[in-house]
Amino acid sequence: MAFLEVRCLTKEFYGLRALDRVDFSVEERKILGIIGPNGAGKTTLFNIISGILRPTAGEIQFQGARINHLKPHQIAMAGIARTFQIVRPFGNFTVLKNVLVGFGHRFYPGLFSSAYRFEKETHLERAREILARVGMETYQGSIAKNLPLGLKKHLEIARALALDPSLLLLDEPMAGLQYEEFEKLAGLIRGLREEGITIVLIEHNMQVVMDLCERIVVLDHGVKIAEGSPEEVRTDPQVIEAYIGQEETVA
Amino acid sequence: MFGGYIITVAVTIGIYIILAMSLNIITGYAGQISLGHAAFWGIGAYCSALLSTRLGLPFWIGLPMTIAITALTGSLLAIPCLRVREDFLAITTIGINFVVQAVFLYVPFFGGAMGIGGIRSPFSTSSFFWITLIFVLVCIVLDRWLVTSWIGLALESIREDETAAAISGIDVVRFKVAAFAIGSGLTGLAGHLYAHFMTFISADDFGFPQSIVILSMIVFGGIGTLRGAILGAIILGVAPEIFRPVLDYRTLIYGGLLIFMMRFQPGGILGDQSVLPKLFRMVRQRSPALVRSG
Amino acid sequence: MIWQQFANGLAIGSVYALIALGLTMVYGVLRILHIAHAGVYALGAYVGLLVFRFIPNFWLALAITMVASSFAGIILQRYLYAPLLALPRIVPLIASIGLFIAMEEIFRLIAGPYILAFPADPGLGGIEWGIVRITNNQFLVFLVTVSLLATLWFVMSKTKLGLAMKATSQDLEIASVMGINTERIIATNFLIGSALAGAAGVLVGVYFNSVYPTMGSIPAYKALAIIVLGGLGSIPGTVLGGLLIGLGETLLLGLINIPFPRDALAFIIMIIILMFRPYGLLGKE
Repeated sequence: MAFLEVRCLTKEFYGLRALDRVDFSVEERKILGIIGPNGAGKTTLFNIISGILRPTAGEIQFQGARINHLKPHQIAMAGIARTFQIVRPFGNFTVLKNVLVGFGHRFYPGLFSSAYRFEKETHLERAREILARVGMETYQGSIAKNLPLGLKKHLEIARALALDPSLLLLDEPMAGLQYEEFEKLAGLIRGLREEGITIVLIEHNMQVVMDLCERIVVLDHGVKIAEGSPEEVRTDPQVIEAYIGQEETVA
Repeated sequence: MFGGYIITVAVTIGIYIILAMSLNIITGYAGQISLGHAAFWGIGAYCSALLSTRLGLPFWIGLPMTIAITALTGSLLAIPCLRVREDFLAITTIGINFVVQAVFLYVPFFGGAMGIGGIRSPFSTSSFFWITLIFVLVCIVLDRWLVTSWIGLALESIREDETAAAISGIDVVRFKVAAFAIGSGLTGLAGHLYAHFMTFISADDFGFPQSIVILSMIVFGGIGTLRGAILGAIILGVAPEIFRPVLDYRTLIYGGLLIFMMRFQPGGILGDQSVLPKLFRMVRQRSPALVRSG
Repeated sequence: MIWQQFANGLAIGSVYALIALGLTMVYGVLRILHIAHAGVYALGAYVGLLVFRFIPNFWLALAITMVASSFAGIILQRYLYAPLLALPRIVPLIASIGLFIAMEEIFRLIAGPYILAFPADPGLGGIEWGIVRITNNQFLVFLVTVSLLATLWFVMSKTKLGLAMKATSQDLEIASVMGINTERIIATNFLIGSALAGAAGVLVGVYFNSVYPTMGSIPAYKALAIIVLGGLGSIPGTVLGGLLIGLGETLLLGLINIPFPRDALAFIIMIIILMFRPYGLLGKE
């Protein structure tokens, strides 16, 4: 049984199909890449998996249970964390506080525990460890909205890790980063997979996708046009067709 | 120890402080713009007045009941607010204010246009001052506890970004209801004090203009900060007394002040990004350095 | 009797629609709640009355008022709202409320707290169809609102300007990338919206034969209920909402005669409809 299974997923906005009967699955501890030209429906797919949007039709199963009727916070609690392509940190919070927000469902489950302090030493310690993972330990006191884009992207990952997820959805984590940062972030993603986190990655940079992912799903105008290993996808004529004008990056 | 006039103004300001703090929880911390806060205040005051005049309940027994009932009604009235966001929410809360006021005015049970009179207060005016002061202090402690608690963090994260909060595992609906419940519970306290201090209340006291005054207090002082809520309540509580000699221009000055503040210091007097707190932080950062170098 | 009430309701509803239209147009481009719009409406009534006292011609007063109030709208946009747009939504909202309060006070200080009569007769006469009698004032309201709405509809759907206005209200940034002068479109929205509000002020002043400083208070909040009802930013929705509220108020209160304040009724209708359609009648997410 697949770890995450998406079946016949369809989403319509005002009669337009953003996603059209998309199927794919991810095995545990694997990295799946999702690629496709702009407007292919990649982010819509993430929004549906994370519960922000409801699918028009279709089903999502996570560890054998149907999740497409759950609310975003329930999906987060089930162990699915995500980042946003257009970063949305809690702007007026410090970096450390951003990470602490993700601890709620584990440490403050009930009404009465909600009244406890959120700045407990053990939690702060754990949050600092997570920040160290993404290389941001020196920024813990900075106000999130003042950070440069690259650090905001890393903060998004740190905030997602605070949920202690078993599935991580990364929406273009490399976009807007300097070239030198790519390798470091790729290393981090591999490390997370080693620890047992399953990862689904939307990415525009083909080099990164080809290097990182075991399998790749290609979307175009909401339809899955190819799926397979990086090598298979690279040589698929339909994929090359979809990327006409962008062939240089594919080849 | 003070004159009756001073005490009356002081008690009124104390009640304003509690009101401003309670709205600050809903709007300042949780980010849910409420333009109908006077409705919750009115619910508290009417509840307190009815418990006192119809059931003859004493002050200290009526108090927890009023707070509980107002918190409950507040969270019930929050339900329509949960379905809508931002500007829809702001206008829905105006609507709630008008509807609640209309109920007080037109349902005979609430005394109609005559309001409710004859609420008996067990205290003298000066002891009322001390009791109000103690309640204000209790509320300040509660507020400090709230902002350091997990609820406080959850509310603020909802204010910053509702979607990001949700995908971080925060049950947005539950915490919004919590914000309205805590906030309206405090307005229940303010209503109880107001009813017993005034001994007479009517629907006019809790109209939409009052909601604007309460909102202006926290915006003036610096939204989302306790110090701002307190300062704003004091300024807008004292201002009508100071401007009494120019009675005819008082409302004009109030309106002009709102425009002026928003135009030149939109974060409020004591808001985190405003001039005064920045100066204060600068001075505080510099002084230890001076000590060390000297 | 019911048809009589119907005519009353339609007259009032179309005035509501006229006021709320400006609000919705401003919301469409700037996403701010322009409470002071009702101040422009009251200003229109005063300007109209002032002109009428010098030259007792209704149509001239209406025309001058519309010009004057559109000026007022543009000044508000440029000097009050433009610097506040990047700030949290609550900032322009509070500024707008402050301005509305200040405007009411200025009217009171200049013109006095009294109700002034506005005895204009546009010389239209009334109409009688069997049992339905439309008074000359009602006829005036219908005539003016229908022609203004028709003009607005024409501008919005048949001209390049209207297309640009629609594009701007859909997405300001994309519109400006597409080469639309969004600054000018925003100003145009204020201009048209304020002109409509000024016209509504004159119409109401004549219809009820009264002009007073706080005449904008109730419309200020009722117009909010109406634009929410219609779906914030939707022009047809706003017209529909205005007529619905005007008819609803008049019919419910006139026929059933329940002792309920008509001003809360708009909000009750609004809240009930929002429960089922959280984005209003014709609104989109």
